[in-house]
Amino acid sequence: MTEYLIRRLLQSLLVLFLITVVTFALIHAAPGGPMQIFLAPGLSQEAAKIQAHNMGLDQPLPIQYLRWLGGLLRGDLGYTFKNHLPVGEILWPTVWNTMVLMGTAWFLSLLVAIPWGIYNSTREYGFSDQLASILSYLGFAMPTFWFGIILQEFFALKLNLLPLSDMWTMGREGEIGDLILHLILPVTVLTLGFLAAYVKYSRSSMLEVLQQDYIRTARAKGLRERRVIFRHALRNALIPIITIIGLDLPYLVAGAALTESVFNWPGMGRLFVDMAVAREYSVLMAITLITAVIVIIGNLLADILYVLVDPRVQLGRKGGQSA
Amino acid sequence: MRKAKKWAATLAVLLLAGAVAAGCGNSAPSSTGTPSSSQQGNATPQTGNGTAEKPVDGGTLTFSSFSDIVSVNPLFVQDTASGDIVYLIFANLYDLDRQGKIAAKPWSLAAELPQVSEDGKTYTIKLKENAKWSDGQPVTADDVVFTINTILNPETGSPLTNQFDKVESVNKLDDHTVQIKLKQVYAPFQYSLYNQIVPYHVLKDVKPKELQNHPFGKDPAKTVTNGAWKWSEWKQKQYLTFDANENYWGPKPHIQKIVMKIYADQNTEVQALLKGDTDLIQAIPVTQVEAVKARGNINVILAPGPQYEYISFNFDPKNFPDQFVPFASQKARQAIAYALNRQGMVDNVLKGTGTVMNAPFLPGSWADPGDAAVKYDYDPEKAKQLLKEDGWTPGPDGILQKDGHRFSFELQYNAGNSRREQVAAVIQQNLKDVGIEVTPKAIDFSSWIDQNVNPGKYPAILLAWSLTNPDPDQEQIFSSKYFPPKGQNTGWYKNPKLDELWVKGYSTIDQNERKKIYAEVAKEISTDLPYVFLYQYGQPEGLGPRVHFAEEDRPEPSLAYGYFYHIINWWVDNK
Repeated sequence: MTEYLIRRLLQSLLVLFLITVVTFALIHAAPGGPMQIFLAPGLSQEAAKIQAHNMGLDQPLPIQYLRWLGGLLRGDLGYTFKNHLPVGEILWPTVWNTMVLMGTAWFLSLLVAIPWGIYNSTREYGFSDQLASILSYLGFAMPTFWFGIILQEFFALKLNLLPLSDMWTMGREGEIGDLILHLILPVTVLTLGFLAAYVKYSRSSMLEVLQQDYIRTARAKGLRERRVIFRHALRNALIPIITIIGLDLPYLVAGAALTESVFNWPGMGRLFVDMAVAREYSVLMAITLITAVIVIIGNLLADILYVLVDPRVQLGRKGGQSA
Repeated sequence: MRKAKKWAATLAVLLLAGAVAAGCGNSAPSSTGTPSSSQQGNATPQTGNGTAEKPVDGGTLTFSSFSDIVSVNPLFVQDTASGDIVYLIFANLYDLDRQGKIAAKPWSLAAELPQVSEDGKTYTIKLKENAKWSDGQPVTADDVVFTINTILNPETGSPLTNQFDKVESVNKLDDHTVQIKLKQVYAPFQYSLYNQIVPYHVLKDVKPKELQNHPFGKDPAKTVTNGAWKWSEWKQKQYLTFDANENYWGPKPHIQKIVMKIYADQNTEVQALLKGDTDLIQAIPVTQVEAVKARGNINVILAPGPQYEYISFNFDPKNFPDQFVPFASQKARQAIAYALNRQGMVDNVLKGTGTVMNAPFLPGSWADPGDAAVKYDYDPEKAKQLLKEDGWTPGPDGILQKDGHRFSFELQYNAGNSRREQVAAVIQQNLKDVGIEVTPKAIDFSSWIDQNVNPGKYPAILLAWSLTNPDPDQEQIFSSKYFPPKGQNTGWYKNPKLDELWVKGYSTIDQNERKKIYAEVAKEISTDLPYVFLYQYGQPEGLGPRVHFAEEDRPEPSLAYGYFYHIINWWVDNK
């Protein structure tokens, strides 16, 4: 297991390195650099040159990349071009804010979706199952921003029960009660989105397992249905669900640009959109890097959980399997 | 993300709209006069923010923006959000009156209008003796001299350089008097004095090339200012706060605290205005104006701002297939002007918040040429007649032909700008009606500016100029001295008569004389049409019910930053 982990980590580092190279090249290949966005057309050539030099944009690309990489190895994510602010100072608060929002929504949806999916698998096409289907269709089909606006219109503007947007009321930063009030609407929107997928997955995964021979055997042995479901079926049914969850982990930091925009949540998704338009390369690189790290962690976690859940997967003997 | 592509596009559009304003905003080295409010008609508040009640001191005004600031160091401001803040926390040397003339107001640093010498080359500025910085130090002639010299130093890289490039020297006569000598007579220079100054005592030891990255302008604690409010806090991408400056020397503002809240886009801003989370938004999307008005308690100010939209023709044959410029002749361009239903665009696309233009001077400004400019009323028959006279005959596909060339060209604009998208479609239809084929093409804003607009490589573009400086001089846009890459005459337009008139315009000090010269410019340019001038446009400002001001202190949308006009005299309900 340890050997496996070390190998996976080394592979991951290589993958990360390649991702940064490719991203760096792609970002710079996009036409219209920060100079175009930022400089006044009337600025003299001389002044433009000085500004480019101040931003470090007059260096060849490989040098710019190495500088960036060098900074990264020292834990320095660089500075914004426009106003020379440290990237970390802008980025880390938004990462945290996004995780608060997405984490809550994700946790809630798992909490509801997995038991509900399991329940529905035992009562196929029952009322609860039909309801879940309808909700799933809604969750998939309804644009998140539209649903968000409807909720705002009703609960914030008409009824005046909940805050319209933002993470905190100004002057009440840090008060947990205030945060919860602000979380309700965006979490509702996001949870519905997650829920739609997870209920379906857990139901179908469970149904598949329930048709296996060993379940029939278990039932034939005269085991109680409760025991069949929870002891025999559930562990196996969880495996594909874990895969999905692992793969979805990056959404926790990166997936909510639209919801964040509608609810004016100061998160990373919104930051990415802003910074892409402004061609703030160092912020974009940092966000890509964080997302990549989380994708890798997500995959790794999923693999480790397999081992814990699935008796058929054993690492170390033949070098392990990866998902 | 996939189901939300359209929204993302909308979002990008709004952000781009900001970039457009920034991109062609402060930059216009040349500028255009300002419409006077009396001629704007509906600039007057309609639902009663303008009131005769007695002002109340205290309270918080919240306004919103959909982009964060970059830096509020006045030497480097190039975007609207930062400009808004500079307007609140710095006093100007001179301010503007509603007609766009420079004025020494009670809150201006200058005590009186500048004295201009006989030969028109020396400006003497007298400062108010009681003006102070927020750290208590006096504002002196040293600050003015330092500011102008720093702007002129190319190492600084200040975007204001071209506003001051006619300056030969700047000298302190005494602690409160500054003398500026120009290299030549240059009338628009008076508007360069409508600017802020930076504190000499804080920045004197900073190397010019390090100024841009200096904390002054980014760290509230290190940004020493001299306006009615001072900067207290910056929570990046969320909000900025400002408190009344206890060292303020001018008339005390009624509003104690100002908050600028940053929203993701204009739609979110509108929601916040309706909820009361913000009291002032600078731009309500035209499609939402009716819905906002229907709520009853929001004051929507509908009046076009200091910006105009145009079609620019390119005269460089290299930009066309077969090296053939279809609109090379004056008659063809006039025909295009007649064929376009510009009033229709104002009524339908801008929902009335606009005024048709025939010359590059804003309607109602002091340089407005009125009837001197040729008017092109919507008249497709006349357009067809002109095209016929110009030798164009209908081809087999209904498109006009001349010497084996079809009258067909590409019209570029920035992707995602829904106003331009709609206007481009109207242009396409209008011109098709007279036998001209237009292919609208939307391109990502920054690539477009980089690869087509700035180098002058396009057949025709649909774009706008935003004019922060109310002087009518626009030599750098239309004179053949300013071809790309160094200038903004990106259509490679050459007209010796106009070249000469622009020079004459800025070399004359007397405003009445200048007005006559710009009337001549208007006549020539509206006859020759390097651009088809479309309309002055603007975005409706929204004011919440908490904001109050006397009638004479109402916002002035025709000026840059006019949504804050006389904000020092406004007050808010203390609820």
